[in-house]
Amino acid sequence: MSVLNASGVARLKTLIRAQERRQGMRLLAASVCAALVYAAAVLLLGVSGWFITASALAGLAGPLVAHSFNFMVPSALIRFLAIARTGGRYGERITGHDAALKALAALRPQLFEGVARGPVTRALTLAGGEASSRMVQDVDAIQNRFVRLSAPWGAAAGMVAGIGLALLTGWTTALAIAAASALGMLAAALVAQGLAVPAGRAVQAASGDLKTEFAALAAAAPELQAYGIKPWAVDRLTERGAVLERATQSLASAGGWIMLTQSGAIALAIVGVMATAATASPPLIALAILAAVTTVESAGALLTAFRHNGAVKAAIERLGDLLEASPQAAAQTVAPIIGLPAADLSLTPPQRLAVTGPSGAGKTTLIERLMHLRSPLPGETTMGEVDVAGLSPDAARALFAYAPQQAVLLAGTVRENLKLALPTADDAALWAALEDADLADRIRTAPSGLNASLGENGARLSGGERRRLGLARAYLRPAPWLVLDEPTEGLDAATEARVLQRLAARLERTGQGLILVSHRPAPLALCDQRLTVTGLSASGVVLMSLHKARSAA
Amino acid sequence: MTAQPIDAAAPQAQWLKAALAPRRRLMALASGLVIADAIPAVGFAAGLALAVGALPQGISHAVPGALLAVGSLLARGVLAQCATAVGARAARAVKGDLRRQVLNGAFSGRLSDAETMTATVEGVEALDGHVSRFLPARLAAGVTPLLLIAAAAVVSPFTAGILIFTLAPFVIGMALTGMAAGAESRRQFQALERLSGLFLDRIRALPAILAFQAETQQAAVIARASENLAVRTGKVLKIAFLSSAILEFFSALAVALVAVYCGFNLLKLLPFPAPDQLSLTRAFFLLALAPEVYVPMRRLSAAYHDRQAAEAAVPSLARLSDAAEAAPVRPPVPTTAPVIAFRDVEITYEAGAPVLTGFNLQIAPGATVALLGTSGSGKSSLLHLFLGLSPLSGGEVEVHDVRLSDHPDLTAWIAWAGQAPVVVPGTLAENIALAWRAAPAHRIMEAATRAGFTGDLNRIIDERGGGLSGGERRRLGLARAFLKPAPILLLDEPTANLDAASEAALLPVIRAAAEGRTTLIATHSEAVAELADVVVRL
Repeated sequence: MSVLNASGVARLKTLIRAQERRQGMRLLAASVCAALVYAAAVLLLGVSGWFITASALAGLAGPLVAHSFNFMVPSALIRFLAIARTGGRYGERITGHDAALKALAALRPQLFEGVARGPVTRALTLAGGEASSRMVQDVDAIQNRFVRLSAPWGAAAGMVAGIGLALLTGWTTALAIAAASALGMLAAALVAQGLAVPAGRAVQAASGDLKTEFAALAAAAPELQAYGIKPWAVDRLTERGAVLERATQSLASAGGWIMLTQSGAIALAIVGVMATAATASPPLIALAILAAVTTVESAGALLTAFRHNGAVKAAIERLGDLLEASPQAAAQTVAPIIGLPAADLSLTPPQRLAVTGPSGAGKTTLIERLMHLRSPLPGETTMGEVDVAGLSPDAARALFAYAPQQAVLLAGTVRENLKLALPTADDAALWAALEDADLADRIRTAPSGLNASLGENGARLSGGERRRLGLARAYLRPAPWLVLDEPTEGLDAATEARVLQRLAARLERTGQGLILVSHRPAPLALCDQRLTVTGLSASGVVLMSLHKARSAA
Repeated sequence: MTAQPIDAAAPQAQWLKAALAPRRRLMALASGLVIADAIPAVGFAAGLALAVGALPQGISHAVPGALLAVGSLLARGVLAQCATAVGARAARAVKGDLRRQVLNGAFSGRLSDAETMTATVEGVEALDGHVSRFLPARLAAGVTPLLLIAAAAVVSPFTAGILIFTLAPFVIGMALTGMAAGAESRRQFQALERLSGLFLDRIRALPAILAFQAETQQAAVIARASENLAVRTGKVLKIAFLSSAILEFFSALAVALVAVYCGFNLLKLLPFPAPDQLSLTRAFFLLALAPEVYVPMRRLSAAYHDRQAAEAAVPSLARLSDAAEAAPVRPPVPTTAPVIAFRDVEITYEAGAPVLTGFNLQIAPGATVALLGTSGSGKSSLLHLFLGLSPLSGGEVEVHDVRLSDHPDLTAWIAWAGQAPVVVPGTLAENIALAWRAAPAHRIMEAATRAGFTGDLNRIIDERGGGLSGGERRRLGLARAFLKPAPILLLDEPTANLDAASEAALLPVIRAAAEGRTTLIATHSEAVAELADVVVRL
């Protein structure tokens, strides 16, 4: 993991605190209910013990005493406490989960925007890697944290009720119970800190390692097969898996040790009661013993929180790390005039530029830097006479409609994917764009038309169809520049001609400028100037040269 | 993931049972330890009862009972720790077995890499709670209450009768509400999964979202889906929590019934002739034991989610691990470069559009063919056909006298070099020798030299490929290809992501490697394509 990003973590914590405040009433209700549950549980058992013992003594004293014994009040109290405990638990769960769900409904979009508006390299690394699936887990961990916020209140109420009951027996007994509970919690906290938290971190790390290793070996699957070394790879991954399983086992076993400390604390509390309550009446001693048992048990609510603290902390650190603020550039609007000082070139719509050059020479790199979809290099490109590196990403991106070589599609419908480019577009505009990309017939024959769902990243489309949907999407965006990366690759000659003819007509109509990356002759014929990219210099600058040969007929 | 009615889970449960069978004994031990907890539970109740019962004679008489209670309590703690440890050990063993089984099915083109990765990590991990919590809890829920009721019957048959009487509605109530809650929580689980999926998808689609400046628009989509989930989950949770509240209320009611019976029995105020005569000790024992009767069943309902998570993971696990690889025929390796003919080849991965259709190509023995095209055009899939890593959905490929539709194992015929050769921690020589474990030293040396390596072959390379430049890493792949005397050479993007100078330096090495073999190169580099006798644009 990268060096901890303190400002991002602080930002995330601020966001979480804001949600805690917004959900304040619900969280308060959950805490009150939790307090009710644990206090009722302690009182219920204590009063029952007292009641049975007192009844027995009254019974022994003969029918007269038995008949005058007031069993109505304690038995009503017992019934009330049983109902209060059940109702309180229900209320705590409902309000606690409600608060957590509502808080996360607000946090998720904030996190998404935070990542999307962060530095472009970080956002795009996340888009490709397994880090994104880990992000989902981390968000879930924070949701659970909200649910557990009421736990300390429950534990505290249980302890106060138990110690209060024990005060009826004597202050030394109350003190003994309090001491035993405190010792129990201390021991549990130590076990959690020493065993559970490191084990939890180890689980996270081991699962990340396993995924990384898996991805590396999966990329080399043919080599594993060709050289018969698949068993070796399986062994390696099995070993990584074994590390993960050992960590998971230690985590579970830490939970067992925590339970053992609790048993020890209860035992200690009983011994404490026996040692301090010798002079009290039998019913009060019975009450103190049962209060001791439940008081220590109340602390159990906190123990779960202890065990998950490590995971939540790690989740907040990882998510905070993603919320790095991008270097702020002043919001500005610039004229859509592209300048390439190295090629002594200045372009204004509706001019058309072809970018050519061998594979890997940096054509895509150049245009993506221009659009702030990669970090731009100072001095390489200008926009309205301003260095692109000094522009805000929003100012730069607003000028372009981009269809990349491999269009990234949303797991949604055709309509959702198209409307990404222009949320206000009506169906007529969508069909027109599809028509121009030569995809309208294909979509029209699909049973649900524009509402056809595409599967993850357009899995239900062929490679060529994905490309043309990406093209249609770029057409919809009314930006001064249309940027197309190999738009007709993989199309047959007839389709290519049709797509290009409609593209030309569309450009005439809209007055948009065109930047077109291709190595095929037909699309290049649309352009009036040609920039040849020859490679990247040692410092990463794109090397280029310009030809003003008019190639169009 | 598709929605499934409860009944459809039956095959999943069967599969799970079969998969867990080899570790039955360890799991039985874990369940046994959970059930054994009944003994100290009785001991604790008895100890408390003896102590309280002796209180009227003075507190010193209460010490033996208190000691029994304390001892039982510690025994319970130790047993719980042992049960957790053994349960975790059993889960670890099961997951280890299963992960190996799943991995054997991985790298075979049967599922996408992403799905396989999810199955290997999260899928296998989903069995943890099932083995370590749910299974012991299920057995304990069936056995422990009966054991505890039997202990109560020794002291007061009538109270045991009350407990059995309340147990019946409790079990029925649990079956009904548990099933309803199960169905609801499954639906909620799915809703949550859909939301996570949406979030994940929008993160993956960030390149497009940034390009179209749709950050705010998509954040709003996520917000709407989250709010939707919050509202719907609220309803679901109400039912789930209500059902658990009902269980809790039932158990509280049962305990109250026992307490009332004991109290009135002690006061001798029962409105009917007392069926058994209770003392304070006996009454206290019954009161302390009664809540324990319901604990195992409540624990079971809390572990129900673990079972659902495990069953949800079964389909992908089953697909990877069940399709055991049949021993394929291994045709003898021809001594000269073979002829290769593709006829109307179609490649379609499961549930997707065809990657390639109607592909025809005849390759002369020893010729070099470059397959040119952008990513996704199917050139890697064509190479994968020879290794059985992509499906030959239609047409035929003939290699020498062998048809690929018969699924032969051509491993021995093929040398391969890709863009990210595998690196193992060890020396450079050991890394080259992965292609032929028993290769004599001089052959390794020769392969390294022909691939253009100079210097020490015994230098150490770490597993991240430390010590190798991008170009050297490709050379490692080519050195392996030189070392393996196979008549077919397949190269997948041998120069991708290299700078022009490194690529140029690699070209003669590729030409030398192709000599005397039938060679297929998938590339999008024109420079590499120039090496070929035939260039095919996909």
